[in-house]
Amino acid sequence: MSFRIPIGPYHPALEEPYKLELVCDGETVRDAVMHVGFNFRGIEYLAERRNYLQGITLVERVCGICSNVHSLSFCQSVEQLNGATPPERALYIRVILAELERLHSHFLWSGVAAKLIGFKTVFMTCFTLREKVMDALSAISGNRVNYGMNRIGGVNRDIADPQAVLNILGEMEHGITSAIIPIFLEDRTVASRCKGVGILTNAQAKAMGAVGPLARASGVPQDIRKAAPYAAYERFEFNVPVETDGDVRARLVVHALEMIESCRILRQALSTLPEGPFHTTPPTAARFKVPAGTAISRVEAPRGEVVYQITSNGTETPERVRVRTPTFMNMATVRFTVLGQELGDSPLIQASCDPCYSCTDR
Amino acid sequence: MNASGLIQLFVFPGLLFAIPAGWFYIWGEHKAVARMQQRIGPPMLQPFYDFVKLLGKRTPSRRGIEADLLRLWPALSVLSLAGALALLPVFPSGHGFSGDGILLVALLELPSICFILAGFTSGSIYGEIGAIREAVLSVANNLVFLLAIVTIAVTEKTFRLGDLAGPSWNPGHWLGVFGILLCIPAKLRLNPFSTSSAEQEIYSGPLTEYAGAALGMWELAHGLEWVALTGLVATLVLPVGGPWWIHAILFVAVSFGEVLLLSAVSAATARFTLQRSIQFYWRWAAVLAVLAMSSAIYMRFRS
Repeated sequence: MSFRIPIGPYHPALEEPYKLELVCDGETVRDAVMHVGFNFRGIEYLAERRNYLQGITLVERVCGICSNVHSLSFCQSVEQLNGATPPERALYIRVILAELERLHSHFLWSGVAAKLIGFKTVFMTCFTLREKVMDALSAISGNRVNYGMNRIGGVNRDIADPQAVLNILGEMEHGITSAIIPIFLEDRTVASRCKGVGILTNAQAKAMGAVGPLARASGVPQDIRKAAPYAAYERFEFNVPVETDGDVRARLVVHALEMIESCRILRQALSTLPEGPFHTTPPTAARFKVPAGTAISRVEAPRGEVVYQITSNGTETPERVRVRTPTFMNMATVRFTVLGQELGDSPLIQASCDPCYSCTDR
Repeated sequence: MNASGLIQLFVFPGLLFAIPAGWFYIWGEHKAVARMQQRIGPPMLQPFYDFVKLLGKRTPSRRGIEADLLRLWPALSVLSLAGALALLPVFPSGHGFSGDGILLVALLELPSICFILAGFTSGSIYGEIGAIREAVLSVANNLVFLLAIVTIAVTEKTFRLGDLAGPSWNPGHWLGVFGILLCIPAKLRLNPFSTSSAEQEIYSGPLTEYAGAALGMWELAHGLEWVALTGLVATLVLPVGGPWWIHAILFVAVSFGEVLLLSAVSAATARFTLQRSIQFYWRWAAVLAVLAMSSAIYMRFRS
């Protein structure tokens, strides 16, 4: 019996509005069509009609989960154009924020993946741990999301008590090593749902330009933090987890191991946070002009590489702001990973590329 | 039907007991899972509130035979489960009849058939997929369920429920009970066999189009299913004899213990896909059931 099953734009399996139309032969998926664009907000257009300082606040709203990387990329691009050099302490704080955000995003993704395989206990465990990350982010920035931390030439707030964040980090590490990793790596029901499911081969990942944990789970050892270090990443020791199976389980493993590496980076950054100022002289919003030119900034977001291209015409308003999000690269893989798979696995497979269609729609 | 039969049907373990007991077991499952997930969980009367709330809902009206059928399936489920409960030999006193075990199996199976038919009647794509999943899973787990029942029957040399009740020294009896326990999560649509109502894939499956009083009847049937299935195991393991009130208390206690056990399994597992569920029942559980029956037949000829 053949079915055409719409998943979305509003569906319990989806975090955001998008639509996956599956053509099924019984329980087997024969074709899949992706529809996006339900969340278009015209952010690039708006950014080209605001000054640079307003632009920071605006691009932070591109995504609710990885808001920090958008403002960070934007600020790094502008810093390239106007030659501003953030102080060392600011670069460390940027790394701390970025890694806390990665933990936040990975916990959320892990929880959603667990929920999609019907494992609500793990979902609750992930979201309990995510609350601790939110507490740390709130303690640093004053906000649980949309932190408003980045500014051109530094950060807006200092970390006054790194030890308090280290204490929260210890609790998170314990949760990751005692709960998340054993469940994702050893639980038999999880393995039965994830092993050999939704395979993206190394060749397919490269052909479609997959980025982030999705690519790394298919054996593509690509991470901007290593390949083109920004902020203070080159000062820290960390590994880039890479798996070669390319299935959902490999993505789970990469995410779980990345959480451990994030904790490792955070521990180093918080323990060696240099003294000194955390921003350069504050610019005034009214007459903030950036020299003419084009700058490109790349940042490793939790879901993969985010690229910002800003073109300035020498005025206080950017001429062009172009945002390329990781999901733009990764969403094309969904069609190939669900083909021939069971219908019951398709929500998990499409979620396993860690999509953020709000980012993509912008 | 004599007076004691009517009491069994309408009082204990029949509807008067089973309806609140079903709500209590559903609450027990929700609460236990919530505590395992470090949540508070619902208040004890929540399933009752849900039922009353559903009865009071105004729902979109359907016309024709489809509307009647959608109302018929949950009502039929409730009636068949009430019948199954009346047959349970909680107080083995000779009220049963020869072969009532076969009738019990049929009555326990009817809600699953109604669930499948509800999915196909609903006209929803999600309902149809859920119905197909339930049908396939039902075929898979019923093989084990029937073998388990037959194993116990062979052990006791009868299909009369009154004679099957109570523990036995024969290992075939306990293997049969274990086989029934293995099938209960699939019959109650609990993890890891909740594929026919996997909300992340097909919303509520066959019940997607249901609302209001008809959905309330399905919730009621689900509660009765809990009481009947856990009660069946309780009657097979509880010792026979002694005061009736001790029997009643032990019946509830053992049944609730099963609720907690099933809740723990549900909370500690992910949902299997349909294929893996079938593999589980046909590859592992069926082998166990065949072994159990073989041992029961061997023991019978040996004795």
